[in-house]
Amino acid sequence: MTTRLSSRPLSIAAALRELEGPGLGGLVVFTGHVRPDRTRNGRVESLVYEVDLRPALARLKTIERTARRRFGSDRVVIWHRVGRVRVGEISVVVGAAHGHRAPAFAAARYLIEEVKATVPLWKTERARRARRPPRPRGRRGPR
Amino acid sequence: MRPVTVRLFASAREAIGRGTVDWPVPAGGVPAKELVRALREAYPRLGPALRVSRFLRNDRYLTDLSERVGPGDEFSIHPPYGGG
Repeated sequence: MTTRLSSRPLSIAAALRELEGPGLGGLVVFTGHVRPDRTRNGRVESLVYEVDLRPALARLKTIERTARRRFGSDRVVIWHRVGRVRVGEISVVVGAAHGHRAPAFAAARYLIEEVKATVPLWKTERARRARRPPRPRGRRGPR
Repeated sequence: MRPVTVRLFASAREAIGRGTVDWPVPAGGVPAKELVRALREAYPRLGPALRVSRFLRNDRYLTDLSERVGPGDEFSIHPPYGGG
């Protein structure tokens, strides 16, 4: 499927299969992954993506149509996770296929920028503080 | 009379602690900006989110807040997006 909001893991291989086709000499895929950033609340362990589903799906379709028209992209993929996404997992996959590399790169760049700025998705960080080793009890050691 | 269903997301939802609010309106509805003002007065903590949000009526973005929102409508509050 060209546009998708999914609570299941996203696959780069599946995106490539979606994009491959006869005469399509340039395939560009961008993936975004959850980083283990340090925050005030500790180290990020996951992100939780919230979505307003109907307008989000409609917006993804609009972005797809615009990319096809503006860049002549023969095939386009715009997939985004919703719900909880753990560190290292893919949160977003966009890709574009064209006969040549320049429009494929331009289309992929357009896709990810539009997704970030215009699709009603929000993320919340889930972080955890590193555990400190337990303090020794009683005497601190030999005197 | 059916109310407007106000749908809140992200920082707007966190500001009032819930994702939907049923808001009574007269039969002819009210301009969206009046609804926003009434929500701000009822939930002062919502103010910062309202200042930066986009608004939708029945999944359509409102470009003019003088448009009316009426009984049975959904009115969605979208703070700045953060996908990717």
